[in-house]
Amino acid sequence: MNRKVMILMLCLCIILGMLASLTSSTMASGKLRAAFAWPTYIDPAVGSDESSKIAMSNLYDTLVFPDTNGNPLPHVAESWEISPDGLIWTFYLRSGVKFHDGSELTAEDVKFSMDRLLTIGEGLAYLFTGKIKETVVADKYTVVFHTEKPFGPFLSTLFNLYIVNKEQVMANIKKTGLYGEDLGDYGKDYLLTQDVGSGAYMVKEFPLEEYLLMSKNPNYWLDIDPNAPDEFKMIGVTEPMTIRTMMSRRELEISDKWASAETLQALSEIKGVNLASFPAGSMYYLSINTKEPPTDDIHFRKAMAWAFDYDTAVKLFPGATRAQGPTSSIAGFNPNAFTYHQDLDKAMEELMQSKYYNDLDKYTVELFWTSEVPDQEKIALLIMSNMSKLGIKLKPIKTPWLSVVESASSLETSPHIISLFCGARYPEVSSQLEGRYHSSSVKTYLQNEWLLDPVLDKMIEDAIATIDRDKRFNKYHEVIKYVMELCPSIFVLDYANNYAYQSEYVDWYSAQGDDIPVFGYQLVARFIKVFPEKRVELLK
Amino acid sequence: MVNLIIFLKRLLYILLVLLALSILIFAIARVVPGDPARAALGPRTPEKIIQQLREEMHLNEPLHVQYYYWLEGVIRGDFGKSLVTRRSVHEDIKIFFPATIELVLFSMIFITLVGIGLGAVCGLNKNTWIDNLGRLNSYIGVVTPSFVFAIFFMLIFGYILEIVPTAGRISAEVIAPPKITGLITIDALIAGNFLAFWDAIKHLILPAISLGMAGMAQVSRITRSTMADNSERDYIIAERSYGIPEHIIMYRYLLKPSIIPSVSILGLQFGSLLGNAFLVELIFRWPGLSRYGMNAILSKDLNATSAVVLIIGICYAIANMIVDIIVNLLDPRIRLQNERGE
Repeated sequence: MNRKVMILMLCLCIILGMLASLTSSTMASGKLRAAFAWPTYIDPAVGSDESSKIAMSNLYDTLVFPDTNGNPLPHVAESWEISPDGLIWTFYLRSGVKFHDGSELTAEDVKFSMDRLLTIGEGLAYLFTGKIKETVVADKYTVVFHTEKPFGPFLSTLFNLYIVNKEQVMANIKKTGLYGEDLGDYGKDYLLTQDVGSGAYMVKEFPLEEYLLMSKNPNYWLDIDPNAPDEFKMIGVTEPMTIRTMMSRRELEISDKWASAETLQALSEIKGVNLASFPAGSMYYLSINTKEPPTDDIHFRKAMAWAFDYDTAVKLFPGATRAQGPTSSIAGFNPNAFTYHQDLDKAMEELMQSKYYNDLDKYTVELFWTSEVPDQEKIALLIMSNMSKLGIKLKPIKTPWLSVVESASSLETSPHIISLFCGARYPEVSSQLEGRYHSSSVKTYLQNEWLLDPVLDKMIEDAIATIDRDKRFNKYHEVIKYVMELCPSIFVLDYANNYAYQSEYVDWYSAQGDDIPVFGYQLVARFIKVFPEKRVELLK
Repeated sequence: MVNLIIFLKRLLYILLVLLALSILIFAIARVVPGDPARAALGPRTPEKIIQQLREEMHLNEPLHVQYYYWLEGVIRGDFGKSLVTRRSVHEDIKIFFPATIELVLFSMIFITLVGIGLGAVCGLNKNTWIDNLGRLNSYIGVVTPSFVFAIFFMLIFGYILEIVPTAGRISAEVIAPPKITGLITIDALIAGNFLAFWDAIKHLILPAISLGMAGMAQVSRITRSTMADNSERDYIIAERSYGIPEHIIMYRYLLKPSIIPSVSILGLQFGSLLGNAFLVELIFRWPGLSRYGMNAILSKDLNATSAVVLIIGICYAIANMIVDIIVNLLDPRIRLQNERGE
């Protein structure tokens, strides 16, 4: 028997040895690989989520580019001017910017990109819909935007206007499509897997459900650091064990941002892996229905806001900070805005003023938290416990995201509270104020509050229509004050992006405090440096 | 002739089952809460655009009219457009289906070889330590979900020992063979690209074994008990008394009848592996149909969901038909029953 066992063990050793020797070397010279929640859309008229935005920020150029404060810097546009009435924006483009197919980027392409975005109407088109009246080509290098009304944050929204190659799109149009005989499918099918941009990276391979592999554009019009990755691979994976294994085998340089605190802790214990945490420009809200009893009563809402334990909530989300009002701490936010903190005496005072105070037993406040985001359950349980101290019955309900979206589409089906993350799509608070509290967002999951407040709408519109930055920001402060007085939400926290990354061989600007506070700009590969030889050292 | 009639009868049953399945899945996919057009295009897309998509997908029509359009398309091989990948579901299936088939086929090989082999060894060594070890293995295999094995194997062989790849179908450094069947191992062999073949095999090891562990355990248990029962039957005792060599008794008279129940189980396993592979595919980043189907369900991608379920149903039916034929060939009693129309 011993002989048999020995032979078995010998066979096992031989097989393992063979496998080990034949395991392919996963050498990644100058490669940057990052994990993302999937799918990713690289069509600038379609994509709007994080991975899509990051892909587009690498594949395409924009008229202006954000600095580390989110301010617009000249990029494809060398300069610009605004008419005195604030309705006409003229951009002067630099010459010599080449698309990936070698043709030159001109004002025609900028106009085409804006027209295409507005016609298709998906993705981030809503940032410009109803605001841009028309785009005019003045000459080869001059493009003029006419706005319906003065549009103060226009420059910041232009971080989301990715310029596509008109000629290439038109050459690849499918005749059958929603956009008429001439435009057919407007190139949507082609742009699903091909890029038509001028960015620092180009699509190399794009198997839709797996990954997007981009290679460095050798003819990019700006200098790129020689240590910038030759290839940038965006991989669709968020499974914690897979991420952990890939990080430990140096097959992944940057983790996805959805990892739990426990997973991040485990990743940080891998040699050469560090954590990076920086503001996400995203808020965590408990969005309260202001039309449904008992949360229609402002004193009831205020009681909830005073009773919530903000400090514990912040501790549950690594890197998060206390919310300063209803917006993230981005341009235009008010650092001195009134904020709630946990004070049970004040909570009780407010509750006693509520018309529902004597009928608390009759009401159960329903809170929908998204089943796909397990961390939301922690907040749901926390607020349930906080409310029980006031005698308020709160029932957390685990709800699939699509059901959350469905229920928020009508007042009859909207719950009392929806647990919600909402990020700014351009780095000014108007993105969140308009997106969350303007009547245009009612009937979507973005506004379970159902405020429908014409005064607030007018205040937001007036602020956005103010071209002068200081005056605009003062108006934002007024809007913030007004929103705080309505107490339509519990402002849980200002969320942070948390990643694990290979700090030994990757120099990542976002991890070093130089993050660009604009959605989709945290991973611009041309600013990242990769040192493959240090990776090899780690693998030894 | 009799076999042909049996085959045609089976085929008719299968068509009826698939028709019923298509109605069921079509209805279920559409009553799940959530507006698929809104879910696909986002909350801020203007209503006009949403309406365009609804019209394109016939979502404004009554359910039976929607089903008619859908079925008409399916018969033409057009499953419609996926709301997640934004291309035709037919294209998606062409990409994802071979990946899952390859994974499931390797799992089936593992289940068949190891399951029947282990079961036979245990059956022959009934109530010895070998049998006890095999039974323990079977119990663990049956009660443990495949994703637990996936995580465990990844931890041991991928994270600690680092001896096998843990993600995808082929290494980035290896040149993939030209796509003929979509099964990388087969395509690599056709192209004579042995490096790609071996690389693809290594990528298959952990997901295929993780996926097949429960099936292997089940097959091993059934084979073991049938072997143990059969080894005490009179005809085996008689053959031994005639002095027929043990290896002939073993392979010709004992193993062959003992694997018939396991072969029936294998047919069922094939269908269940196709449907249950999504967690294993997720963990090993396997770009397969199950993962695609799961994403489709979560995103309320109606066309993709219906297509995936229908395809799994077709595979399941075909696998069972093949098993019936094999069992028919292996077991003369069943053959006779069928011929008599019993």
